[in-house]
Amino acid sequence: MTNDELETRLAALPGRLLRRLAKGRASRHFGMGKSRLIHELLALPPDRRAHMETELASLETEAASLPPPSSNAPPPRAEGTPAHREHGQRNGQRKHGHRERGRREHGPRRHDPREHEPRAPAAPPPRHAATDAPALGIGAMLEDIGVPPPRPFVPDPWQEEAVARLATGNVILSVPTGSGKTYVAVEAMRRAIAAEQTVIYTSPLKALSNTKLTEFVQTFGAENVGILTGDRRDNPQAPILIMTTEILRNLLYDAGGGEIDMRLDTLGLVILDESQFIADPERGVVWEETIIFCPAQARLLLLSASIGNPDDIAAWITSIRSTPCHLIHHRNRSVPLRAAYLDPSGAFAPLFRTRDISQTHTPPLHPETHRLFSRYEEHTLGGRS
Amino acid sequence: MPPAIHPVDLLELLRHRRLTPAIVFLTSRRACDEAIDSFAHRHAPIPAERSAAIGRTIDTMTAEYPSITNHPLIPTVRQYGVAAHHAGHLPSWKIAIEELMRQGCLDAVFATTTLAAGVDFPARTVVVTQSHIRKGRNFMELSVSEIQQLAGRGGRRGKDFVGFVVITPSPYIDLGHLARGLTSHPEPLDSQFVASYPMVLNLLKAHPIDHIRPILEKSFAQFQLNQRANVHETKLDKADEQLKAYGQRECADWIALWQSFHQAKQRRSNVRRKTTPHESPDVRARLSFLTPGRLIELSKDRGVVLRQYRSRGHGQAMLTVVRGHGRIVEYPVSAVTAVLDAVMDLAETKRFPWSTAQGLAQASDTLERLPARVQRLPVRAEPDEADHPMLTETLNGEFPCPTCSSRPSCQKDHPRALRVRQDHQRLTKTVHALRTELWHRFRQHMETLQHFDYLTPACKLTDDGEWARLIRINHSLLITELIRMGAFDGIEPSILTGVMAGIAHDDDRPVAFSRRNAPLASMLGQVRKVAHTLSAYEEPPLLRLDVATVAALWIADPALPWKDLIRSTAMAEGDVYRLLARSLEYLSQLHALRGTHPDLARVAGQAMDNMRRDVLQELP
Repeated sequence: MTNDELETRLAALPGRLLRRLAKGRASRHFGMGKSRLIHELLALPPDRRAHMETELASLETEAASLPPPSSNAPPPRAEGTPAHREHGQRNGQRKHGHRERGRREHGPRRHDPREHEPRAPAAPPPRHAATDAPALGIGAMLEDIGVPPPRPFVPDPWQEEAVARLATGNVILSVPTGSGKTYVAVEAMRRAIAAEQTVIYTSPLKALSNTKLTEFVQTFGAENVGILTGDRRDNPQAPILIMTTEILRNLLYDAGGGEIDMRLDTLGLVILDESQFIADPERGVVWEETIIFCPAQARLLLLSASIGNPDDIAAWITSIRSTPCHLIHHRNRSVPLRAAYLDPSGAFAPLFRTRDISQTHTPPLHPETHRLFSRYEEHTLGGRS
Repeated sequence: MPPAIHPVDLLELLRHRRLTPAIVFLTSRRACDEAIDSFAHRHAPIPAERSAAIGRTIDTMTAEYPSITNHPLIPTVRQYGVAAHHAGHLPSWKIAIEELMRQGCLDAVFATTTLAAGVDFPARTVVVTQSHIRKGRNFMELSVSEIQQLAGRGGRRGKDFVGFVVITPSPYIDLGHLARGLTSHPEPLDSQFVASYPMVLNLLKAHPIDHIRPILEKSFAQFQLNQRANVHETKLDKADEQLKAYGQRECADWIALWQSFHQAKQRRSNVRRKTTPHESPDVRARLSFLTPGRLIELSKDRGVVLRQYRSRGHGQAMLTVVRGHGRIVEYPVSAVTAVLDAVMDLAETKRFPWSTAQGLAQASDTLERLPARVQRLPVRAEPDEADHPMLTETLNGEFPCPTCSSRPSCQKDHPRALRVRQDHQRLTKTVHALRTELWHRFRQHMETLQHFDYLTPACKLTDDGEWARLIRINHSLLITELIRMGAFDGIEPSILTGVMAGIAHDDDRPVAFSRRNAPLASMLGQVRKVAHTLSAYEEPPLLRLDVATVAALWIADPALPWKDLIRSTAMAEGDVYRLLARSLEYLSQLHALRGTHPDLARVAGQAMDNMRRDVLQELP
C-alpha cells in the first residue's frame, strides 16, 4: 500500500476509529488533531505498518456497518450518540446510569425532555472526553428546563409542621429563599383571625410592606388588612396590620409607657419577615427590642432566609419567653438550583462537576469552566500589566 | 476578549438556552441603565404579541399608580422586554416591573447586587457578575448569606422544574469565592445591639432603674455574650483546678512573693551588668591608669595614650594611641600588654587627633627616645565580684525566700504557676466584661441624658425627657436639643423639612446640585454648630445643603409638579422619593409633640400635608 493510498483511507476513517487505531502506536494520540494523527501514523516504521494495515481493514468494515454520520453534525458529545456508548462499555454504562438516576428524581412530573429540547449546537465538546470525562455536559445540565403542569397546591410537611407548632409556641422558620415561607404566614394568619386575634406583620422595607399589602388584600380582602406607617394609618382596626419593624417597636414603647393606642391585648400573632435583619449593623437592635417587648400572650413567627445559627435564636427566644420557640430549619430548595458558567466568548459550561448545587461541601469546578475562566483571567489581567 | 459579556449577547444566549426570564445582577445603577440602553442601540425587539401583553399590564398598573404614566422607560420595556430595577427608580415603577416579572412578561431584569434584598421576585435564572460589592467606601466580599440570597431568586415554584445561577465574569469577580458561597453554610447572625437615647428614655419611662438590667439581659446581644462568657468560664474552672496545685505554702501568697523576689534578683543582676560590662578584672584594674599621656606597651610596639573611651556598641573600653612615626590607632584596652611607669605631659583637645600637633610631635619624639627597658607599672587585678556578699545579704534581709524550706519547689513551679494565675485573672476580667458590657453601654447613655437634664439624678424622666422620648429616630439628641434651644421657633414648614432632610440623609455620594436657598443655608449652619458641640455624644449628621434644598423646594411650592422637582436636581428619582419619605418620617415624629410643642407640631403637620401629594401619595 502506498503512502498516499493509506493516507486517503485513514482520512476516510471516522475520528473515533482512527484514535482506536492510533492507540498503542502513537503516543499521546488523544491530544492530537486528525491530520496530525494521520501524519504520525504514516511516519511509523514499516514492520508496525503491516499490522496497522490489517487492522485498518477490519475497522473499515466496522465503519461501514455503522450508520453514516451526517455531514455537518456537531462532534460527538459526551453522551447520547450510539457511537460513544460503544467506545468504552464501562464508561457508557456509567453515564447511562447517571441519566437514569436523574430521570428517576424528576420522574413523575416530566416527559423525556430530550424529546422537546433540541440539542443546542453551540456547546463545545468536552475536550478530554475519553480520559477525563466530567460527570456531565452542559446539555445534561440544561435538559430539565420546562414548566411543570399546574398541580393543586399541596403544602410541604415542614410548612404544615410550622403552622401546627405555632399552636404551642413561637416558631422560627429558616428555609432557603423562595421555598414558601409566605404560605406559613398566611395559614397562621388565617387561624389567628378565626380565633379573633390581631395579627401584626412586619417587614424591614416599606417597599416589601407594600408588596405584602397587595398580596394579603388579595387573600383576605381589603377590609381585613390595614397598614401603619409613621404618618398614616390605613384601616387600623383591621385584624391584620402591616408595618415596618420600627413602627411596631414604637408601638411597644408606647404600650410600655402606659399609652395603649393599639389593641395590643388582642394581639395574638406577630410575624417578623426577613428576621435575618437582626444582624443589620444599624437596624438590628430594633428586631431585638421588638422580640423582647412583644406582649407575652402573642406568638412570634420569625421568617428568615437560610442563616447559620437558627438554633441560637430559637434558644434565645425560648429563654426569654413563656412559651418555647420551635425551630423549623432545612436547606432543601423546593425548586432545585443548578449553577452554570457563561464565558464572555459565549461558551456555556456547568460550574461544578456535580449537577445540583451541593449543600455540604464545595465540589471542584468543572474542568471546562476552569479552563474558560483561567483563559478569561489571563486575557483580562494579562492585558493590563 | 471583552472584560464582560455584552447585555444583549447575554440575553440572546439565555433565550437560546431557554434560561429566561432572568434577573441579572450588575455592579451599579449605571451599569443597569446602560444595559437597558444598549438594547435600544442594538435594536433587538421582541415579538409584537408579547409587546402587547406588556403594554396591557403596564396600562393596568398606570391606572393604579398614575405617577408612572408616560414613564420614559415604558417604550424600552415594551419593545425589548427588559427592564432595570434599582433604587434610583420610583417605588411605583419598581412595583410595575415586579408585576410584569411575576406575569412572565419580561425576559430580563437588570438589578444592582447591592440592593438584592429589595429584589423580591423570582425568575428562572439568576445571573451573577461580581463577587465583591461596594459597601460604603470600599469593595467587600459578598457574604455567603448574600450570595445565597442572590441565588435564591432562581427557580420559580410551580413554574420551573429547575432554577439556574449563571455566573459570568466581570472585572469584579472571584469565581472560587462565589463557588464556595453557593455551597457553604451561611454565616451565623451576630447581634448588633446598640443602646440609643430614645431606648434609654423609653425604658426608664416604663420601668424603674433597677428593672433595667434584667431587661437588657433578655437581649440576643446578652445571650450571645453569655455564650462567649460560658466558654471563658469553663476555661476559668480549668484554671481554678490548676491553681489548686499551687495553693498555700510557707507563705500565703507564695506566687506573688516569689515573683517579687525573682524580679528583685533580676533587677540587681541587671544593675550589676550595666555598671560592669563584661570585661576581665585585669582590664578593669588598668583603666584608671590609662589616662592621656600615659606610655604603654603594645604587642610589638609602644605608644602614648591620647584618650580613653567606650565603644558605642558593646561599651568596651577603648584607647586612642599614638604610635611610632605619629600613627594614631584605636585599640581595645585588652590589647595593652603592659602599662609603663612613665607619663608625658600632653596637651588635650576635644577632637581628633585628640591633641595639638605640637603634642603629637612631642609624643612621637618621646617614643623614639624611650629606652629599651622601662619600668612597668605593677597593676593588681581584684577578683571578680560575681558573688558580692552585700547583694546576697540585702536579698536575704528583704525576702524570706533564700532561706525558706520550700524554696526549691517554689523555684520549680513558679513559671507555670504564674502563667496559670495570669490566665485566671485575665479570664475573670473577660467574663466580668462580657456580663456587664451592655449595662455599661446603657449607663453611658444614661449619664449623658442626665448631663443634658432629660433624666433626673434618680433616673426619672424630667419634663423635657417626657417629650424627648417620643423622638425615636437617629440623631434624636440633636433634634431634641434644637427644639429646646428654640431653633425651630417660627420656622417655615419648608425650612423645617429641609433641616429634617439634612439630618435624615446619610449618603455622602456627590449627586445633587440645586439652587441656593439662603435661609435654609443659614439655618443648616446653625444646626451644624449645635451638632458639632454634641459630637462627643452623637455622630453628627451630614447636613448637606444640596439635598436639603431639594426637600425644601417640594414643600415651599405646593404647586410644583414632581417632574420639575426631579429636573431641578441631579439626584435620581428614587433617591428623591426616599429622601422625602424619610423626611416625612422625621416630621411625623415632630408632629407627635402636639401636647408640649403645639406650634412646632403645627408647622410639622403643615409640612407633612404639603409633602403628601403627587407621587408621595400613591403608596402608604
